[in-house]
Amino acid sequence: MADKKHRVNLRDRGAEYWERSPKWRRVAMAIFFIAICYALPFLNNPLINTPGSDFQSVLFYPVGMYVLMAIGLNIVVGKSGLLDLGYVAFFAIGAYTMAILGTKTSLNFWEIMPIGVGLAMLSGVLLGTPTLRLRGDYLAIVTLGFGEIVRIFAVNTDAIGGARGIAGIPTPPDIFKAKFTILDPKPYYWVLLTFTLLIIWMVRRMAARRPGRAWDAIRQDDDVAQLMGINTRKYKVWAFVLGAAVAGVGGVIYASQILSIVPDQFNLNISILILACVVFGGIGNVWGVILGAVLLAFTPERIRFLSQPRILVFGIALVVMMNLRPDGILPKKKREHFDPDWHTVEESGEGQIK
Amino acid sequence: MSENVLELNNITMKFGGVTALNEVNLVVKKGEILALIGPNGAGKTTVFNVITGVYKPTSGDVLFQGKSIVGKKRYKITKLGIARTFQNIRLFGESSALENVVTGADVHSKSGVVGSIFGTPRSRREEKAALDRALELLDFMGIKKRAGQLGKNLPYGDQRRLEIARALATNPKLLLLDEPAAGFNPAEKVALGDTIKRIRDAGYTVLLIEHDMSLIMGVSDRVVVLDFGTKIADGTTKEVQNDPRVIEAYLGAPADAS
Amino acid sequence: MDFALLRDAFWGLSFDGLALGAIYALISLGYTLVYGVLRLINFAHSEVFMIGTFAALVASSGLMGVKVEDEPRTGVSMILTLIVCLAIAMLASAITAVLVEIVAYRRLRQRGATKLATLISAIGVSISLVELFRILTDSLPREFPRIMEKTFLFSYAGADIRNDKVIVIVAAGLMMFALERFITKSRLGKGIRAVSMDENTSTLMGVNINRVITVTFFAGGLMAGAAAFFYILVYENTSFKVGFFLGISAFTAAVLGGIGNLKGALFGGFALGLMETWTSAVFGTAWKAVISFIILVLVLLIKPTGLFGESIQQARV
Repeated sequence: MADKKHRVNLRDRGAEYWERSPKWRRVAMAIFFIAICYALPFLNNPLINTPGSDFQSVLFYPVGMYVLMAIGLNIVVGKSGLLDLGYVAFFAIGAYTMAILGTKTSLNFWEIMPIGVGLAMLSGVLLGTPTLRLRGDYLAIVTLGFGEIVRIFAVNTDAIGGARGIAGIPTPPDIFKAKFTILDPKPYYWVLLTFTLLIIWMVRRMAARRPGRAWDAIRQDDDVAQLMGINTRKYKVWAFVLGAAVAGVGGVIYASQILSIVPDQFNLNISILILACVVFGGIGNVWGVILGAVLLAFTPERIRFLSQPRILVFGIALVVMMNLRPDGILPKKKREHFDPDWHTVEESGEGQIK
Repeated sequence: MSENVLELNNITMKFGGVTALNEVNLVVKKGEILALIGPNGAGKTTVFNVITGVYKPTSGDVLFQGKSIVGKKRYKITKLGIARTFQNIRLFGESSALENVVTGADVHSKSGVVGSIFGTPRSRREEKAALDRALELLDFMGIKKRAGQLGKNLPYGDQRRLEIARALATNPKLLLLDEPAAGFNPAEKVALGDTIKRIRDAGYTVLLIEHDMSLIMGVSDRVVVLDFGTKIADGTTKEVQNDPRVIEAYLGAPADAS
Repeated sequence: MDFALLRDAFWGLSFDGLALGAIYALISLGYTLVYGVLRLINFAHSEVFMIGTFAALVASSGLMGVKVEDEPRTGVSMILTLIVCLAIAMLASAITAVLVEIVAYRRLRQRGATKLATLISAIGVSISLVELFRILTDSLPREFPRIMEKTFLFSYAGADIRNDKVIVIVAAGLMMFALERFITKSRLGKGIRAVSMDENTSTLMGVNINRVITVTFFAGGLMAGAAAFFYILVYENTSFKVGFFLGISAFTAAVLGGIGNLKGALFGGFALGLMETWTSAVFGTAWKAVISFIILVLVLLIKPTGLFGESIQQARV
């Protein structure tokens, strides 16, 4: 009995501890946590070792990549309630940008990154503007279609490699003696981690302010949100575009690591996998989403027999999660107290408004 | 012209074969509390929906502060200064009471996504202003202690008060209240009546749909009566009270039945 | 782009398009029926179809002992085999559909869960079924034996009319007619219509919602199972992913005709079958799925009500 209550309030307890901590403790915890993340590739513990594949490589893909993408998709699905089933398309656009520009021009990784992100964002606008006013289920199907069309287009367009894809993608240039090669995933992991932390920071800022409130309102009641003065269309497109940007970042980094890409890598299953991470982690909740992504990406690598039927397990997990724990394993805060950072509470009912 | 905050000119609203509103004319004067009453199904909420842009009228015009707002997007209408509450409470249940009201207060902020990421001075200013205003309004409606509680967990009465606070947060020139007293006991109704008067005294204009006659008579300056989508009376509370057509609409029999 | 092919083989292509359209129409009935009562797109319906094809396969080899290398059967043996396979496919699909409802939707519906949650649950079921069959079939497509000799009955305006496609079109038409009779005349059918119009009032009038919903899924599944059998009869193969594109096309057909509207599903199915066949002739089959999507998006943006249906996009406050 006591255990069950413990679990349910895990996030709340963590959040409470955080809020009660003075600033120095918060900063220390954050630095500690971030340091651990950067040090992860050096961990060599039989408990977390992944049989069959290199732990450091797994950290980069799928763990790190899923985490990044799940954070991106969370803005769209989790915060705004827009069911995007074609998220992999933006990932593909980032990857293909890196592949094409990397092999056909002399631009390097860092120069290509903003272009890849920009193109992903542009496709987000192009796809989102006409379709985001559709109802939820229709939006899902249309985005699903978009994801598939991007793939089919890539398969059938020889100019960008056709079904055989593109090979010979250049690695990023060295940074202070750290070489990016296919043999060593560590520098890639650190680059990915840095982008991820930056994006988490940005997302949290937005979520706590006007955009986050607008997305919350849109998710809960689009019609009323409009009547409360929110330009729902603008914010929905923004959510879409930001999600696309994050996927674009992932795609560029991915292509520069794996050095050759084929269209069939960017299929529906990936969209579903990322969606599963978002759902599993608790829709809307960044930390839950990260935990969900880590679990879902890491477990099949750790437990090899789960690896083959991985997607089957994910599918079942989706159904089970929705039916038993629709709020995810770390549900959103249900705290009922008043945040001490704001004004002190004074009982009155006779206040004046100006 | 500047006297009238809102004008409905010959508004007709048809849904397929059903005529919900038939050539309705009404005027809301600045600073007044106008009550819109009528039996169930008379079309009162439809009037609200036409005003706020949820429905586009089949014919007729809606003038807000002298300018037509028919066909404008809903959020733009709210920005112009019309806010409302709902017959069936429609709060953002998963958000806290404070968040609900701040969302309303966001309407007049200029900064958006980019501002929030980079923490521009303007966005920080507007964020604080919105928070301050929200707290003020919660206080005004007497639910400040509920600020951190989730909307869906509030007791019924406080949910209704929260909806009003949220609407006020958008800083409207015209406030539409759709049955704000539904489900209240008599004492709460009296308190609500006082609140509505205080809202008016603070400078807002109120258009009110209600069923409770004593509340209406105690609070409103004028009353408009609808029946089957048609306006059947329009005047002061006294005039409407004694209008035989109104009595018939409610009681279904002529006042002077032999 | 090959317009010459379209022009020369127009009638032949159109006939093929009608046969394909009959299959689409049957599948889209399932989407539209479920949408009518639950206001929900049944994502897993494509897998209901897929399972029907495998059921027909198992029925033919396991039950009726037909092997792929066998000569086509004739006479009574042929008719018997065909009917048994059809019946088993229909039953398998119908049962799958009902199971899907119970596993993926029922609990969420009764708890009043959000649309998003229900959709995700549906997607989970869909993915699970696809993966299950991928593992079972080792990712390989399966061939279906030729039970019936495929002969050309006659020629019309340059189109060769093949017997199996005629059977598909005629049989599909009969089934749709039977379904329509069921919906309009039977008590359960009236219940279905009542619930799709107004769920709350129906409950108040004594309609057993759970039963109506189960029957709806069952009926949609029957139709999908029939479509599965017809598909496998004409195309003679299936795979674990056969449901995906056919499902999307059938859904597009339902939307095109007006989702929630049976007549629309029929019309949409045939219309889409024709359009896809014609455009495949011009642009090549690789772009078939893209054409379908473009049609879907256009319909949703221009006339979301579809050709016959009601608009469900209006806000309700």
